[in-house]
Amino acid sequence: MARIELRNIQKFFGAVQVLKDVNLTIEDGEFVVMLGQSGCGKTTTLRAIAGLETVSTGTISIDGREVQDLRAADRDIAFVFQSFSLYPHMTVQENIAFPLRAVGMSQSSRDAAVKEVAKVLEIERFLHRKPSALSGGDMQRVAIGRALVRRPKALLMDEPIGALDAKLREQMRAEIKRLHISRNSTSVYVTHDQIEAMSLADRIVVMHAGLLQQVGTPEEVYNRPANLFVAQFVGSPVMNVAEVAPQSDGLSFGSGAVLPVAPGLVSHLPAERALRLGIRPEAVVLSESGAAGLLESRISNIEPLGSHEIVDVVLGSTTLRARTEPGRLRTGAPVWVGIDTERAHFFDADSGMALRRIA
Amino acid sequence: MADVITRLDPTSRAAARGFSDMTIRNLFIIPTIVFLIVFNVFPLIYSLWTAFTDYRASTAAAANFVGLANFRELLSDPDIWRNFTITAKYVVITVTGQVIVGFGLAMLLNRKIPLKGLITTLLLLPMMLSPAVVGLFWKLLYDPSFGIINYFLGLGKFEWLAQPQMALWAVALVDIWMWSPFVMLLSLAGLSAVPKHLYEAAEIDRAGPFYTFFRITLPLVAPILMIAIIFRTMEAFKTFDHAYILSTQPTTELIAIRLYKMAFLEWQTGMSSAFAYIVLIVVVAITNIYVKYLNKAKAR
Repeated sequence: MARIELRNIQKFFGAVQVLKDVNLTIEDGEFVVMLGQSGCGKTTTLRAIAGLETVSTGTISIDGREVQDLRAADRDIAFVFQSFSLYPHMTVQENIAFPLRAVGMSQSSRDAAVKEVAKVLEIERFLHRKPSALSGGDMQRVAIGRALVRRPKALLMDEPIGALDAKLREQMRAEIKRLHISRNSTSVYVTHDQIEAMSLADRIVVMHAGLLQQVGTPEEVYNRPANLFVAQFVGSPVMNVAEVAPQSDGLSFGSGAVLPVAPGLVSHLPAERALRLGIRPEAVVLSESGAAGLLESRISNIEPLGSHEIVDVVLGSTTLRARTEPGRLRTGAPVWVGIDTERAHFFDADSGMALRRIA
Repeated sequence: MADVITRLDPTSRAAARGFSDMTIRNLFIIPTIVFLIVFNVFPLIYSLWTAFTDYRASTAAAANFVGLANFRELLSDPDIWRNFTITAKYVVITVTGQVIVGFGLAMLLNRKIPLKGLITTLLLLPMMLSPAVVGLFWKLLYDPSFGIINYFLGLGKFEWLAQPQMALWAVALVDIWMWSPFVMLLSLAGLSAVPKHLYEAAEIDRAGPFYTFFRITLPLVAPILMIAIIFRTMEAFKTFDHAYILSTQPTTELIAIRLYKMAFLEWQTGMSSAFAYIVLIVVVAITNIYVKYLNKAKAR
């Protein structure tokens, strides 16, 4: 297993800069998920670690050894591709044994290693089938088996379950987590799916436009987003972001709607800067009757989602989305809205950066 | 446009769409079938009949049915077996040469190189030329007195086409030169169809270039390469034009040349028809073997 360090990584494709000074340390045995939209540079970073992509500047070290100039074959890492990349003309057995055979391992050792991996991944009964005769989930199991069979220093996965259906994704997610725990392998996983990231990661790396936006535990990324991008990218439904102005009696949402909040909250906010309030739907408080700290509003829409409902409430010139238990409220009915100030985030409107939380 | 068509009456609708099925039948299908019957089916059946007769197209004498006599005579003629041996040798040399050169060129072209399109087009030129023209100018190139090959190789007055042992190789070299581009073209199509991510997976799996070539590239290109081999084998068996022009040596007398002589110089029409059928059966048999391998390769 290995510690991976990226220092000042930059990557240009022609004139386009896709990685802008990426610095990241992945600890031995850690499961790091790189999360971001398409084109944010997460796959390029992963491919650079693997050696499938060269970097323009910067260093990549695996266990203290600089590898940025080494071929992929010499880095001793394994890679699981989104497209599975199984060799179509070989059986499952031959596919998994390929990395062992390529380095001249004896047949008996190969067979034993394949058998062990196949058992862990529960693909023993497919060993003599061709990949084309397997389902998507089984193909990905084989791809993971091929990656694990030679006990690499690190396991890199590029959206490995992105091509599977929702149910299978959930199942495979659990399997990947189980494998990681049992093998304690250093794993780097790329995805655009925040649920995958939250459920798998020891640490999440949120990327946008070639830059690392935040590196932290799932709890940190969710509860203490570093900037507006992270705030709105992580979480479903997305965090409410509203333009607010602090006033002596509360937060103004425009059009005369002022939400009363504790004076201590607003007094610490910089009055001279344009601000954005970030509040997760579960931190928006709804009540059928008025009380201190609540502002009367109306419900414009309700999305029933079975276990809970997403309720849209109009507050001044903004609509906030709140998460409530099902069947409690009706569209058009009056409602009193408040926010859980402990879970309110404030961002600088110009830079998008989070303002330090007030005590 | 679709709206306009549906508003028209049926006849105008057909006209607006283009030709009616009947017009297509009359204009294209019937002439093709007539052409096929007159120039392919009829000669095939007629020659099958003449193969069992002593017919000679140069005389007015009526054809007499001789049964299997022509086939018996041909198969017991050591000269015919010699022709077959020469042709087999020629097929092996040319097809092997074309596969090595063609596949090699395709491997070189299947990477990022400057002027790739132009180079590919230039490499394809030989197969676009007439075989007779190719025969004529290679005859000049091989010429012992003023041929450029001897000049460049410094071989003096080396007789490429008159030396019995060298002549077949010289004729085969021309075929390799002419038809390697065909194998190259098909191989290139096969190589570019191998997904790039498989090579990336192989690199991650620590496979060296040779291992990758023999375990990934070759098996995946094999079906299309097999098609190229089938085509070239069938064509090589029928080689006539440039071989006839280049050499008159008995060591280069391919079956097509022997057949031509038998049919149009000796006017043994019945006998040559029988010979043509023997060649046909041999080619079909060999092709079948290849097709079996092709299906096996595809199944892999």
